[in-house]
Amino acid sequence: VRRTFLAVDVLGALNLIATLTGYLSVSTLIPAAVAIGYDEPLWPYLAAGAIVGGLAFLGARLTRGDRRLGAREGFLVVSGTWLCAAVLGALPYVLSGDPQLGRPIDAYFEAMSGFTTTGASVVVDYDELPRSLLLWRQLTQWLGGIGIVVLALAVLPRLRVGGRQILEHEMPGPEIESLRTRIGDTARRVSVLYLALSVALVTILLGLGFTGVDERMGVYNSFAHAMTTLPTGGFGTEGTSLAAFAPATQWVIVLFMAFAGANFALLYRAFVRRDPGAAVRDAEFRLYVTLLGLGSLVLLFVLAVEDVHGSDSPLRHGVFQAVSVMTTTGFATVDFSDWPILGAMTLIGLMFVGGSAGSTSGSVKVVRHLLLGKILRREVDQTMHPEVVAPIRLGRTVVDERTLRAVSSFILLYIGIFIVGAVLLAADSQRTGTELLVRDAIAASATTLGNGGPGMGFAGPYGSFEPFSDFSTIVLTGLMWLGRLEVLPIVVLLSRHYWRNA
Amino acid sequence: VKIFVVGAGQVGATVVEALHDEHELTVFDLDGERLEALTQRFDVHTYEGNGASRRVLSEAGVTAAGLLIACTSRDETNIVAAMISKAISARTTTVVRTTNPEYLEVWREGQLDVDFIVSSEVETAQAIATTIGVPAARQTDTFAEGQVQMVELDVAEKSDPAILGRPLREAPLPPDSRVAAVIRNNEATIPRGGEEIRPGDRIVVIGSPQAAKAWGELIAPGTEPVRDVVVFGAGRAGSAVARLLLEQGIGVRLIEASLERARLIAAELPEARVYNATGFDPDFLERERIADAQVAVFAMRDDLKNHFAAALAKVHGARFTIAIVRDAPSQEVFEYAGVDVTVNPRQITAEEIVRFAHDPRTQQVVMLEGDRFEVLDITTKRQSEYVGLAFKDMPIRGAVIGAIVRDGRAVFPRSDEVLRPGDRVIVFTASERVGDVERAL
Repeated sequence: VRRTFLAVDVLGALNLIATLTGYLSVSTLIPAAVAIGYDEPLWPYLAAGAIVGGLAFLGARLTRGDRRLGAREGFLVVSGTWLCAAVLGALPYVLSGDPQLGRPIDAYFEAMSGFTTTGASVVVDYDELPRSLLLWRQLTQWLGGIGIVVLALAVLPRLRVGGRQILEHEMPGPEIESLRTRIGDTARRVSVLYLALSVALVTILLGLGFTGVDERMGVYNSFAHAMTTLPTGGFGTEGTSLAAFAPATQWVIVLFMAFAGANFALLYRAFVRRDPGAAVRDAEFRLYVTLLGLGSLVLLFVLAVEDVHGSDSPLRHGVFQAVSVMTTTGFATVDFSDWPILGAMTLIGLMFVGGSAGSTSGSVKVVRHLLLGKILRREVDQTMHPEVVAPIRLGRTVVDERTLRAVSSFILLYIGIFIVGAVLLAADSQRTGTELLVRDAIAASATTLGNGGPGMGFAGPYGSFEPFSDFSTIVLTGLMWLGRLEVLPIVVLLSRHYWRNA
Repeated sequence: VKIFVVGAGQVGATVVEALHDEHELTVFDLDGERLEALTQRFDVHTYEGNGASRRVLSEAGVTAAGLLIACTSRDETNIVAAMISKAISARTTTVVRTTNPEYLEVWREGQLDVDFIVSSEVETAQAIATTIGVPAARQTDTFAEGQVQMVELDVAEKSDPAILGRPLREAPLPPDSRVAAVIRNNEATIPRGGEEIRPGDRIVVIGSPQAAKAWGELIAPGTEPVRDVVVFGAGRAGSAVARLLLEQGIGVRLIEASLERARLIAAELPEARVYNATGFDPDFLERERIADAQVAVFAMRDDLKNHFAAALAKVHGARFTIAIVRDAPSQEVFEYAGVDVTVNPRQITAEEIVRFAHDPRTQQVVMLEGDRFEVLDITTKRQSEYVGLAFKDMPIRGAVIGAIVRDGRAVFPRSDEVLRPGDRVIVFTASERVGDVERAL
């Protein structure tokens, strides 16, 4: 490609991707240290770190963007960064030659699930995995979470993705023009909060373990679960997810999942600036809490009336599953893969809700639903009264029409991709003879595109994505990637006008 | 008093007409022909030049002037003229006409070095909103930028029995209001708590806009309270009317032809229902049941458009129409078309400005019952004998304080409230006592 024809500074974008991936490769030292502790082979981590780090260093040396990176390059940077990060995530699985994760396609799926904080897994037997490899899985989600908060608060608003610009003013701080410095600045502020919440959760879990409330919550499990709760990831260390732990632990996790699904800019105001009123006044936050409550109520009703798990605490299970699925975390305390139809539909519905914008959760997100509801209400009004001029407000601010159009288009695009994904999975299962119900194809497409985690049927919370064919696995990997970047930055890359001026 | 009038347009001419008998006027304008026309009608000095120029004002001898009235059609010219005059001659009182309510706000916050500001839009809107808000009133007027209202009401047999024939102190009267006078058999008395209201009486009430509305409903329970007003035109005048009506809890539908302006106003007034339409489309009027509105206000910028839209609305069955009229001659044409009330902002502005020429301390004078009674808006002096007294201890000497304005906010005094120096008081009194009251305060 001759550079002069390109309107995008590809080399500059590659330079930034290489730099970010290079920093990320240092993180392989953590599982390496764990490997020493458990007396497991540490070379896969060191080799993965060295290979990716070396390539990144080379890439950064060979490319030197001479132009300042702007919004235009941002699309390329975010799309490329997640692809490269997943390569780094996959290498240790491949290099260790693990029987469950060693195949490159499965390894890449698992790594993408990690860095997109989805939580879908091809692992069947957790006890067979080396402890260091298991921790690397958890760590990819924790690292992905930081990336996502920065993405959500600093990058996507500037790229005007799906009406994201409404959040542009949300993160307190000076307006910085350059993409590079803006990412750095937000990353610094948010990672402190993210780190603090993680430390708080680790401390509480350790406390539960030491006091004997939850005997299975040791040091390893405390760290492992804190690492996947705050990024709304959902990777666990047990085949039965959170069911292996005490009710007290589960309630603590519910609270922190709810935090993780809230707007981090609001959490920053509440905890750092000591202004919790900002959250109470925020329209999205209020709807977020309402929807969490409603979802919990419906599931409580289903569990209590249908007697799914006997008399075993329908309240705890209802609340846990609702919060976990809506915040797109994906932990479970019961196997919901074959719940009665109302329960299953509620869960699939919650997969489309998602948490707040500016959180680590995926899916459509509450604020877009809020705006879509207002758009539809206005449409109904204008059918009768075509001349009515009715601006749509979020709190007290008027949302401009461009943003509203972006929100509607985003939701349409999101649903379109979800349908294509579900159809591809269903068709492919027919071809390969995998037993996949329509419900399960729908759930698998929704949960990966929404970065949730477990689906229904064999891909349920106690199950695995292992039975899917290679083609389906690639589709699912693509859905996670698309969903995490909110679809548009990737779709934009397909447009001719992105690359060229004329 | 020597008075400088900057601007010889419609407002300037009306001001000159009202003041030329008693005062020595100098009129400034850039347009020689306008000045010429004025000198032919009145005995005034004229100065062809920019009234907002320091050289012009000095040459004309602004230091000798007691009052400078800046009433050109351009807000900025008026403000600059007043500020330059203040800089040259601090003791010259300045009155500025503005069409922009924002300047009024800035002035109220003390950020503009101008003694008084008259906003034609706000004055017009207040006149319209009061007419709509208390349909039962014989006469209404507003004080303190609309925070205080005075209404004159005729008590009838059908008035709410709870307040008839009962001592005032026991009757369930609307809060934040005070009966300033009871006029019976042509005799006005200032009522004490033991006085009662009877059918046939005429009463004067001073209170908050909400209280005035409540009084209207007590005295004339049959009159349907206004809940649905359509305002044509969301310009400054139209939106000012809409804002005041919404503040009184009246539902407002706004019709604006410019989409951009409609969006802006819809964002500003969330409670109003805004349509982007011309108001000339019969289909639209029919579909939106515009004629069902109890009152239609025509506040578009163009008299001709207002005239046409008002006539069309009448054809569709509009019940009560109020039009803002820019040119004095059109007033008759509007009335011929069946418009119930016409309001001329320039006329109102000129009247408002003329009031300042009387006593600079007295901001507003309203005449009642011909000219037998007046309502004054006076700022109290420090040496006033009433300052420091509680209201219950004040001797009643043919005057009653209905409301006080303290730091720009209206206060409706309880009996133990104490009058402070610098308070603006809204006083009702008989005309022959005006001088006494002004001296006492």
